[in-house]
Amino acid sequence: MIHFKRLNDLLSRKYWAPVSAVKEHKGEAMNTLYNFVSGPLAWVAFIIFFVGCLYRLIRILVLVHKKEKYIYTYMSWKYSFRSILHWVIPFATVNWRKHPVLTIVTFAFHICLIITPIFLLSHIILWDESWSVSWWSLPDSLVQAMTLIVIGSCIFFLIRRLISPEVQYVTFASDYIILAIVAAPFVTGFMSYYQWFGYQVFTILHILSGEIMLIAIPFTRLSHMLFSPLTRAYMGSEFGGVRHARDW
Amino acid sequence: MKKCFPILLLLLTVSLFFLVYAYSQEDMRFINAEAFENPQRPPTVFNHDEHNELAQIEECNECHHIYDKEGKRVEDESSEDQSCSDCHEPKASGRKPALMKAFHINCKGCHKEKGKGPVMCGQCHVRRPNVED
Ligand code: HEC
Ligand code: HEC
Ligand code: HEC
Ligand code: HEC
Ligand code: HEM
Ligand code: HEM
Repeated sequence: MIHFKRLNDLLSRKYWAPVSAVKEHKGEAMNTLYNFVSGPLAWVAFIIFFVGCLYRLIRILVLVHKKEKYIYTYMSWKYSFRSILHWVIPFATVNWRKHPVLTIVTFAFHICLIITPIFLLSHIILWDESWSVSWWSLPDSLVQAMTLIVIGSCIFFLIRRLISPEVQYVTFASDYIILAIVAAPFVTGFMSYYQWFGYQVFTILHILSGEIMLIAIPFTRLSHMLFSPLTRAYMGSEFGGVRHARDW
Repeated sequence: MKKCFPILLLLLTVSLFFLVYAYSQEDMRFINAEAFENPQRPPTVFNHDEHNELAQIEECNECHHIYDKEGKRVEDESSEDQSCSDCHEPKASGRKPALMKAFHINCKGCHKEKGKGPVMCGQCHVRRPNVED
């Protein structure tokens, strides 16, 4: 923990910013904008996120029901969970072992991506103030490190897309946009936390980018959050129950 | 030697300036975060008297309040001889909010209501150079 605290101190504006940057002007327009994006707009984003996810899940189940009902005949809880379990453990599948660096980055990325916003003190404070619910939080200094891991992983994915021929082949402009959508809340959140410059602007941008990410999840490739467990369950059941083979 | 003189003079003036600056701050300028076990944020900027003048708050018990046994605020009594942390503990009890939330409701609540004053984390918890937390 010592190290995180040091990192925290080093990055602190205390050491970096010119004294003049301290006197932020107190823009009332900024505050109105903040109240709007952190109030009504946050409501909209969360509703679209939850309803959108539900809609996508129900629709895929209805589609399967209509078109390929026979899938249900061999779906099995046992083989589904066996497959999912293998895929969520680093290096437990052949594919994970084939690409060790990618595997480490992908796992570190996803763990930090999901844990950070849920257990971030400032987010919990905002939940507490508007809903009177609160839960256990991570120390801010640890969150800084996890945020940097997410940002670093995004850079890794970007470079991989730019230089690796096998990935280039299946890369579209939308892949870069999606990567940017995911990185943005972390970059702006980080800037906002350290208050290097333009604190109010970065805070508002942070909230906006977080909301864009939430809205994008059900309607873009980010929906793999919903579908990858389903795909794995399907593959696991087919391989386990029909082909009597392993899918990992 | 002659060339050094203006630089020396400048240095002297600057350090004198900082000295005066440091000593002229007897008024309350930050809210003490000592009551918090492991503070995560820089202490809040709060020029007590200047703030209340600017915000035109007449009654001390707008903030330094006292409640009677039924949980009603006592009109013309105040508790400025006590810290908020003397009554508000780290955990909430009954209708009395926990210390951090008490500060946040009190400060941010009024600012939102009035549409004036800081509402974002870093506007209150300002990271400043030259000031040790
Ligand atoms: C906007 C809210 C607010 C108002 C209004 C207010 N105070 Fe305070 N005052 C505070 C806070 C916050 C502290 C710090 C308390 C703590 O650290 O627990 C404080 C501390 C104090 C202190 C003690 C410590 C010190 O370091 O100076 C005194 C005395 C005091 N106030 C007197 C008054 C008086 C007299 C009035 C009315 C004229 C008043 N206050 C109005 C918020 C307020
Ligand atoms: C003498 C004890 C005492 C002191 C000192 C005290 N409080 Fe309170 N406070 C209470 C009690 C008791 C309640 C619960 C009132 C109720 O039953 O609703 C309360 C409630 C609150 C509430 C929620 C109700 C509301 O007003 O919206 C806030 C916010 C609050 N206090 C902030 C503060 C702040 C800030 C300070 C320091 C400037 C402070 N309190 C000092 C006893 C105190
Ligand atoms: C009863 C209402 C009220 C309460 C309670 C209150 N404020 Fe304010 N505050 C205001 C208003 C109104 C302004 C805007 C003044 C202006 O610029 O005209 C303001 C402005 C400020 C400012 C910017 C101006 C300055 O003085 O530098 C700061 C910082 C601030 N408040 C901090 C706090 C903190 C910290 C608390 C809680 C301990 C607090 N306020 C509680 C009404 C309130
Ligand atoms: C209007 C001013 C104001 C705003 C805005 C505000 N706070 Fe505070 N906060 C305070 C005051 C006053 C305290 C009491 C102790 C102190 O000086 O830090 C406090 C205490 C805290 C504490 C407990 C002490 C510590 O350092 O661990 C945390 C954590 C905290 N605030 C986080 C936040 C976060 C996160 C936000 C934004 C979501 C925020 N605050 C917004 C005024 C504010
Ligand atoms: C509804 C939308 C959101 C709101 C209102 C919100 C609000 C905030 C606030 C107020 C801060 C603190 C800034 C400061 O310390 O000054 C913050 C930090 C942060 N937020 Fe959000 N946020 C939202 C969505 C998200 C999302 C979707 C993510 C990521 C998936 C995210 C990730 C982060 C991170 C990583 C930080 C901290 C950065 C750091 O401390 O290094 N936020 N957020
Ligand atoms: C728990 C649910 C999730 C699972 C099981 C999951 C699984 C995966 C898997 C297997 C990959 C492929 C790694 C690779 O080989 O490139 C991946 C990549 C990725 N995921 Fe997730 N994911 C989940 C949630 C999320 C969420 C919530 C987000 C963001 C909102 C996200 C964003 C990404 C990104 C940006 C990539 C990299 C894309 C690239 O290579 O450019 N994931 N995920």
